Amino acid sequence: MEKVLVSDSPHIRGKRTTRGIMLDVLVALLPATVMGCVYFGSAAIVNIVVSIAAAVISELAFRLIKRENIKNILRDFDFTSVVTGLLLSLSLPPQTPWYVPLLSAIFAIVAVKMLFGGTGKNIVNPAITGRVFAFIAFQSVMVSGWLAPSIGAISPVVTTGASGTVSTGATELTSMLGGGELSVSLLDLFLGTGVAGSIGETCKLALLLGGVYLVVRKVIKWEYPVIYIAVTGLMAVFTNGCDFSYFLPSILSGGLFLGAIFMATDYVTSPHTRLGNWIYMAALGVVTGALRAATGIEVVSFAILLMNLLVPLINAYVRPRIFGAPSFAARIKTKIDEAKRKRAAKADKEEAK
Amino acid sequence: MSRIKTKFFGRGVHLDDKKSLSANCPIKALEAPSSVALSLQQHIGRPAVPIVSAGDSVKTGQLIARADGPVSANVYASVSGTVAGIEKRPNPRGGSTDCIVITGDGKDERVSLPPLEEITGETVRARIAEAGIVGMGGAGFPTAVKLSPKTPVDTLIVNAAECEPYLTCDYRLMIEKTDELVRGFELLALALGVKNIIVAVEKNKPEAIAKFDSYPQLGVAVLRKRYPMGSEKHLIYCCTGRKVPPGKLPADVGVVVQNVATAYAVYEAVEKNKPLYERVMTVSGEAVKTPANLLVRFGTGFGAVLDACGGAEESAAVYIDGGPMMGATLLSTDYNTRKTDSGLLVLDRRTAAIAQPTACIHCGRCAEACPMHLLPMDIDFYTLAGDYAMARDRGGVLNCIECGCCAYVCPANRALVQNIQMCKQKLREQA
Repeated sequence: MEKVLVSDSPHIRGKRTTRGIMLDVLVALLPATVMGCVYFGSAAIVNIVVSIAAAVISELAFRLIKRENIKNILRDFDFTSVVTGLLLSLSLPPQTPWYVPLLSAIFAIVAVKMLFGGTGKNIVNPAITGRVFAFIAFQSVMVSGWLAPSIGAISPVVTTGASGTVSTGATELTSMLGGGELSVSLLDLFLGTGVAGSIGETCKLALLLGGVYLVVRKVIKWEYPVIYIAVTGLMAVFTNGCDFSYFLPSILSGGLFLGAIFMATDYVTSPHTRLGNWIYMAALGVVTGALRAATGIEVVSFAILLMNLLVPLINAYVRPRIFGAPSFAARIKTKIDEAKRKRAAKADKEEAK
Repeated sequence: MSRIKTKFFGRGVHLDDKKSLSANCPIKALEAPSSVALSLQQHIGRPAVPIVSAGDSVKTGQLIARADGPVSANVYASVSGTVAGIEKRPNPRGGSTDCIVITGDGKDERVSLPPLEEITGETVRARIAEAGIVGMGGAGFPTAVKLSPKTPVDTLIVNAAECEPYLTCDYRLMIEKTDELVRGFELLALALGVKNIIVAVEKNKPEAIAKFDSYPQLGVAVLRKRYPMGSEKHLIYCCTGRKVPPGKLPADVGVVVQNVATAYAVYEAVEKNKPLYERVMTVSGEAVKTPANLLVRFGTGFGAVLDACGGAEESAAVYIDGGPMMGATLLSTDYNTRKTDSGLLVLDRRTAAIAQPTACIHCGRCAEACPMHLLPMDIDFYTLAGDYAMARDRGGVLNCIECGCCAYVCPANRALVQNIQMCKQKLREQA
């Protein structure tokens, strides 16, 4: 035996790698990406390409400027920046000029991720923060002039009088939040036909397919997005006088599906434990629902950004009980028993007197 | 027969057990080697004190080093021949230990212990201590100490889970030496003063289960196949529903756990008057020419053990002492076998995990796999930050059983077990 390698225990490892998980996320985003390109055409394609390229190049450039070894940079390349770039572009409106995704992606990677230490060290989700950056820095192009999808509504609701054509002034969510009527049916909302919105958020069916893929590949747990979406829907119901007809429109519009399935479930910026994640997702739903009711604009990205900051708090308090340690109830019971025993002993003593 | 209703601890990992490589290889005695190096420290506790010196001639089964205090173990010569001296030899777990080196004369003359006049709990315990028997599942804790618990005990659990992949040495004992083993269980129960014996077997060993089922005095617990089923605390929970609180011993919940190989050694010591100087070892792995279960004398070089199995294939990459999850990597085969060595594995480049760790992505898989319900990613973080007290108080690092489930599932290939071991080491140094 001339050549011996030294491995650390355990000497066998599971097949899952960070790179594999990120590739799974990319595969899961594929349907939404394709539908975004179908609905919004070349504008969407340009935005997606620019965003991904800017994210990847800025990550590599950052590390090169830090004078890291090129070999290490390539070895460490784990597709997280591709995911960030793609998610960011999918959450941006299709009509934004190319420099918006470019600058937002650079901001997301450099300011949010790399300056904090790279993969796994960021405090808030880079894609979400990139979107919020775009929303604040380029407000005029972000909220006006929504591009109409190439495929019109299948079953237009005739209340507005207009048939088949889409209001290009605002997304369905904004009009609904503003107290207006929906101009498209629920089926259209689900498919994204005739619905204006960000590139990747309109086709809920495609997002749902991606979510199912992630659940099947055990990248995320099914409860997480379900809790978030359901609580947001219930919040819409409660803020509208317990009218359950608000449930479906509120969850099917805006960026809720995209945020709940792909952004809130980001490992780095969500709690470590399952229970912690349940609490996190429910809180996200409450915050989203409340902010939607209060502001009348789409707030999924703001809600996630806000809750990202509370994740360390959840991690600090929601911790599993060590195997064999007494449960909370058992601990209380022992305390009560102890107190009882003491009282009994005291009574015995007094009796003896 | 009686089957015990079992529970399940819910976490851990599912592993490909790879036992088929050597499960059907009958136990074969390895020839006495020409030279052995017997470590004075083959157990937890103080090293044994040599009672022979260079030039003495010894016989197989002769006492050559005496236990130093209660938490220590006798060492017996494993071949007959002449003592060449006491030398420092490298230890697979790191560092080096004093070893008594014996040059064999090829005659293999044996001596045995004096037969016991009567078999009672006390005489059996004394014989177990005399024969130098230690926990042969890997820990190497002196068995006699474990059999004298300070709290009352009502159950003996025999750990026949053998949850480490590849290893089949316990399995072969179970199906080849069932009668002897069951006698060993009874002797252990006698030494403990308990009636209730539970044999805990993972359900991937149906033949062994069928054999044990025919003994009415045993309760057989058929366990789900899950790593780390053989962990003492989890085994106790699955067989009895009792949970050992953190920082407590199994005896505190009325249970003592003993390994199958230990029970066999007890049988031999009591019924055959044979001290502990050899054991069954599994030689396996994708890169071993002919996997086997060998009866190996302690002190035999790993190289000689491997040669008996046709040596390693070209593709051999990693040599492991023990199982693939908790075993130690061997830098060469120039080490000598000890009482706790249950296997020698040679893995090829494809099976062995050799990858650079990358950044933690906080996916939480380690926390979900941890059978002790710890948060390995937090302990890792505290340890690397040098905050060992935090790792202990917040992370509960001292509860870690080092089973390796967290590192097994880690997509970032982080060296979680090594960092935890380092943290424990630092805490010991600080104490």
